[in-house]
Amino acid sequence: MKFWRLPLDAEEQIIPVGRLFIIADRCKGCNFCIEFCPNKVLEASPDFNRKGYHPPVMKPNHECNNCGLCEVICPEFAIYSTVEEKRRFTEVDLVRYEEMSSGEGKGEQE
Amino acid sequence: MAKKGKADRQDKVARRATAENGPRIGVYVCHCGLNIDGSLDCEEVAKYASSLEGVVLAKDSMYTCSDAGQEQIKSDIREHNLNRVVVASCTPRLHEPTFRAACVEAGLNAYLFEMANIREHCSWVHLHDRQGATEKAKDLVKMSVARARLLQPQVETEVPITPRALVVGGGVAGIQAALDLADAGYKVYLVEKEASIGGRMAQIDKTFPTMDCSICILAPKMSEVGRHPNIELMTLSEVESVDGYIGNFHVRVKKKPRYVTDDCTYCGDCIKDCPQHMPNEFDCGLSTRRAIYSPFAQAVPATYLIDMDSCMNKHGIVACDRCYQACQHKCIDFSQQEEILDLDVGTIIVCTGSDVYDPTPLTELGYRRFPNVITSLEFERLINAGGPTGGNLIRPSDKTVPKSVGFLQCIGSRSKRSNPYCSNICCMNTIKDALLIREHWPDTKIYVFYMDIRAFGKGFEDLLMRARREGVVFIRGIPGEILQDDNSYSLKLIGENTLLSKLYEYEVDMVILSVGIEPRKDSAVVKRLLSLPSMADGFFMEAHPKLRPVDTPTGGIFLAGCAEGPKDIKDSVTQASAAASRANILMAKGKVTVEAITARIDPERCTGCGLCARVCPYGAILVDEETKVATVVEAACTGCGACCPECNFGAITMRHFEDHQILAQIDALAESDAGGKILAFCCNWCSYAGADFSGVSRIQYPAEVRIVRTMCSGRVDPKFVEYAFAKGIAAVLVSGCHIGDCHYINANSQTEKRVQRLWRKMARLGLNKERLRLAWISAAEGMRFSQEISALKEIVEKITPEEIEKGIEAFAPKRLPKGEHPDEATRPV
Ligand SMILES: Cc1cc2nc3c(=O)[nH]c(=O)nc-3n(C[C@H](O)[C@H](O)[C@H](O)COP(=O)(O)OP(=O)(O)OC[C@H]3O[C@@H](n4cnc5c(N)ncnc54)[C@H](O)[C@@H]3O)c2cc1C
Ligand code: SF4
Ligand code: SF4
Ligand code: SF4
Ligand code: SF4
Repeated sequence: MKFWRLPLDAEEQIIPVGRLFIIADRCKGCNFCIEFCPNKVLEASPDFNRKGYHPPVMKPNHECNNCGLCEVICPEFAIYSTVEEKRRFTEVDLVRYEEMSSGEGKGEQE
Repeated sequence: MAKKGKADRQDKVARRATAENGPRIGVYVCHCGLNIDGSLDCEEVAKYASSLEGVVLAKDSMYTCSDAGQEQIKSDIREHNLNRVVVASCTPRLHEPTFRAACVEAGLNAYLFEMANIREHCSWVHLHDRQGATEKAKDLVKMSVARARLLQPQVETEVPITPRALVVGGGVAGIQAALDLADAGYKVYLVEKEASIGGRMAQIDKTFPTMDCSICILAPKMSEVGRHPNIELMTLSEVESVDGYIGNFHVRVKKKPRYVTDDCTYCGDCIKDCPQHMPNEFDCGLSTRRAIYSPFAQAVPATYLIDMDSCMNKHGIVACDRCYQACQHKCIDFSQQEEILDLDVGTIIVCTGSDVYDPTPLTELGYRRFPNVITSLEFERLINAGGPTGGNLIRPSDKTVPKSVGFLQCIGSRSKRSNPYCSNICCMNTIKDALLIREHWPDTKIYVFYMDIRAFGKGFEDLLMRARREGVVFIRGIPGEILQDDNSYSLKLIGENTLLSKLYEYEVDMVILSVGIEPRKDSAVVKRLLSLPSMADGFFMEAHPKLRPVDTPTGGIFLAGCAEGPKDIKDSVTQASAAASRANILMAKGKVTVEAITARIDPERCTGCGLCARVCPYGAILVDEETKVATVVEAACTGCGACCPECNFGAITMRHFEDHQILAQIDALAESDAGGKILAFCCNWCSYAGADFSGVSRIQYPAEVRIVRTMCSGRVDPKFVEYAFAKGIAAVLVSGCHIGDCHYINANSQTEKRVQRLWRKMARLGLNKERLRLAWISAAEGMRFSQEISALKEIVEKITPEEIEKGIEAFAPKRLPKGEHPDEATRPV
C-alpha cells in the first residue's frame, strides 16, 4: 500500500536529527563508517586529506539520526555525532518508507 | 514392491473375469427433465445406442441420477449380467461419483463405468440446433461405448489421513475455521502473514447490520486462538511450498522472527526511544508507528515486534539498542533467525481474504490530490475509538469535524474501468457509517450517491429504512467529478441525478469513497502453491458453485471467506464453519481411497532410458541403474500421464486413460463425416471444466466439436493427434490449464513442447498447421472455450478434401510404432 497522506499525528512525533563531526585529517580511509552506517548517509569525499586518504562526507539530502555507530567503529577517532535538533514526521519519512517497502531498503540487507 | 505385485495380480484376476463373456454394456440416456431432452432427442439417442457393438440394452429415463434411475441401473446389472455401464447425462464432474457408487453396490467395479456429457457439452450449448445436437449426442455416446468396451477394473489404494489441518490466513474466516477444528480435537496450524491475526474485521469499527463493535466481538476469538492448546499460531509466516495429496500434504512454512521473545509483557516501554518512524499500515497510514511496535492494542500474539526492514539494525550490525535498553524484561533478541518449518497435514483451508480497491486511477475523484477525499477503510480507522483520532471523525486537512459528508458508492465496483462485479458489502457499510455519524454528530448533513442500493440480507432493509428515517439523503447518480476549494479544502460534487435527469452540484466538507473488494494482490502465490483455479475476477473458485461451495477441485483443500469472493462477516464465518466441517469429515474417516489413475511401467518393455522420469513433475518415477528398469512410486504418482507420451517403447500404461481407450474414442468419432469434425482434448481440471462452464452459462458454439477428456493435457500423446489426422478428422484442439496454473505443477509445459513439435512436423509434411490448435482455458473461461471452437469451425470450413486426404496419407497408421496399431488396439477384449 502506498501512503501519501501525512499521518494525523505527524506533528507530535519527535525525531532526533544527528549532527556529524568529521575530523578529516585523522581519517585513514578504512571506509568502515561508510559501509556500516545503518542509514547509509556517508560517502567518500573526492578530496584527499593531509594523509592522502579520502575521508567520509555526508551525502546531500541525507540525515544522520545519531545512532553513534561510526563513532564506535572508527579506529582513528575521526568521526562522531551529537543530537543537534529534533524534527517532526514529514513527507521525507513517507518517501523513505516507500523506498523501504518497495524493496530498495530490503535489497541491501541480502 | 510386494504390494504392487499383489495389486497387479488382483487386476489380472479382475480382467479375466470381465473378459470371459465379452463386453455387456448398458447405456442410459438421461432427459434431465427438459435440460437435455428439450434440445435433443433422447429417445433417438438411446435407440441408436442399442445398435452399437457390445450394447445389451439402452434406455432413456427422466432423471437417471434419481433413486429410481439408480435402482434401474443396479437391477439391470444383476438381471442382464452387465459388465459395463454408460450414462449419457451431465458432466462427470458432477455425478460420476453417484453412478460409480451405484455400480459398486451392484457388484461392478467403479472403473467399468463411463459417462457421456450430453448436457454441459451438448444440449446446453446447442439449444437451437436439435438436429446437430442429437447427432453430436449420438457420437458422444458412441465414443463412450467404444471406450467402455476397453475399460478395465481397477483396484484403488487406500491412504491414511493425517489428522492435522493447516489454515492459511488468520482473518475472521481463518480464526473460525481454526477454532472449529481445534475444538473438534484436531491439531491446527494457523499461518498468518501479518504480525497479528484479525484481518479486516480488526480494522473496522462497528459491523452491519447489528452495529456491534467489531473488535469487541472479534478479540475474544482472537485470544482463544492464542490460548487454544490445539492451535499452533504462526505469525509473520508464509507458506513456501506444498507437496503431496489429499490427506497427506507436506507443507513448508517460512516464519520471520519477531525479535521480541514471548516474555514480552506488552508494556510498550520499548517504543519510546526508537528513532525510526513510519506510517502505521494497520491505520491505513493515518498514524505513525516505530520500528518496534504492535499493530493494534488487541493484537494476538500480544507481544511487540521489530519490523527489521525499518530498524537501524537491518544490516545485521547492532547500530542501535535503544529498545533493548528500555525493555526491563530484556525480551529483545536481535539474534533471532528466520525459521523454516515442515508440517504434515491432512487438510488445508485457504482463508486469505481480500484487499480493498485503490481509487487512485479514478483521477476525477481526486483521491491523493484532495486531503479530504478518503476511502471507506480509512473512515473505519477514523471513526474507531481505537484508531488514530480516538474515534473523532475529523477532516484530514484541518482536523475539524465535517459538517457535511458525501458517500460515493460502487467505487471500483460494477464498472468496466475497474472491477465489473458488485463488492457485496459497501452499500450496507455506507448505511452503517452514515448511522454512526448520525449517532455522534447528529447535525451532520449526509449524502449518499449511489447507482443502486443493494440491501439484500437479513436485517439489511431495516437498517436502510432507519437511515432514511434519520434523514440520510440518498441521491441516485455517482458524481462525475470532484473539485476542491483550495482555501477551505471543501469539495464540490458534480453529477447527474439519474432519477430526475437533472444535473446537480453539492458542496461537502468531506468525501468517503465506498471502495470495493478485490482479490489479494499476492493471491497468485497461494494460487500457484496450491494449484487453485480462480475466476476471471481473480477470486478462488469452488469445486461446484452450489453443491460444493467450500471445496476446491483438489481433494483435501477448502476455501472460506473473502478469498472466494466479496462477502460480509456472517457469510465468511458461515463458510469457515462449513469448510472446517468438510475437513473434519475427511479427517474423522481417517482414510481415503485415491483414484486408481496412476501410471504403471511394464518392466519387459522398459529399457531404463529415463526419459519419463525426466518429465514427471512429482519425481514419481525411479530408474534402477543396475536393472535398467524404471518403476512408478504409486503413492507419489498423481496420474497426470505426462510420462506416457515420452516413452518410445510403449512401456507405460496410464490406468483408466490407456492409449487404446483414447484411440478407440477417436475411431468412434471418425467413423462418419470425419472431415467436418473437431476433436478437442480437454484436461479434467481447467479446460474440461471451462467447457462445462460454457454449458452452465448457455454460451452457444458450433456442434461439430467432440471432447475427449484426459486428466492433464500432458497426457495427450502426439500420436493421438496424428492418429486423428490419419482418420481424416478436420481439426484438433489440445487444451489445458494456463501455464503456471497446471493442476500437476507444470506437466502442461510438456504439452506445449509436444504441440510445437507437431506443428513443425506438419509444416514439414506440407500440412495446414491451423488444423491443430493449442489453447489454455481456465475453469472459469467458458467464453474462451466457445471462442476457440468457433475459431476452429471457421478453419474447418476452409479445409479442402485434398488437405484432409494429405493428412490421412501423411499420418497413415503404418507410421505408428509397433504394437500400437489401432486396429489391433481397438479390438474388443
Ligand atoms: C471497509 C470495510 C468495511 C466492512 N464492514 C463490514 C461490516 O460492517 N459488516 C460485515 O459483516 N462485514 C464488513 N466488511 C467485510 C468483512 O471485513 C469481511 O467479510 C471479512 O473481513 C472477511 O474475512 P476473511 O477472514 O475472509 O478475510 P480478511 O479479513 O481479509 O483476512 C485474511 C487474513 O489472511 C491473511 N493473509 C492473506 N494472504 C495470506 C497468505 N498468503 N499467507 C498467510 N496469511 C495471509 C491476511 O493478512 C489476513 O489476516 C467490511 C469490509 C471492508 C473492506
Ligand atoms: S571509520 Fe574513521 S578512519 Fe575509517 S573511513 Fe570512517 S572516518 Fe575514516
Ligand atoms: S534497535 Fe531498531 S527497533 Fe530498537 S530502538 Fe533501535 S531502531 Fe528501534
Ligand atoms: S454493494 Fe453496493 S456499493 Fe458495493 S459494489 Fe455492490 S452495489 Fe456498489
Ligand atoms: S508423469 Fe504423471 S502419471 Fe507419470 S508417473 Fe509422474 S505423476 Fe504419474
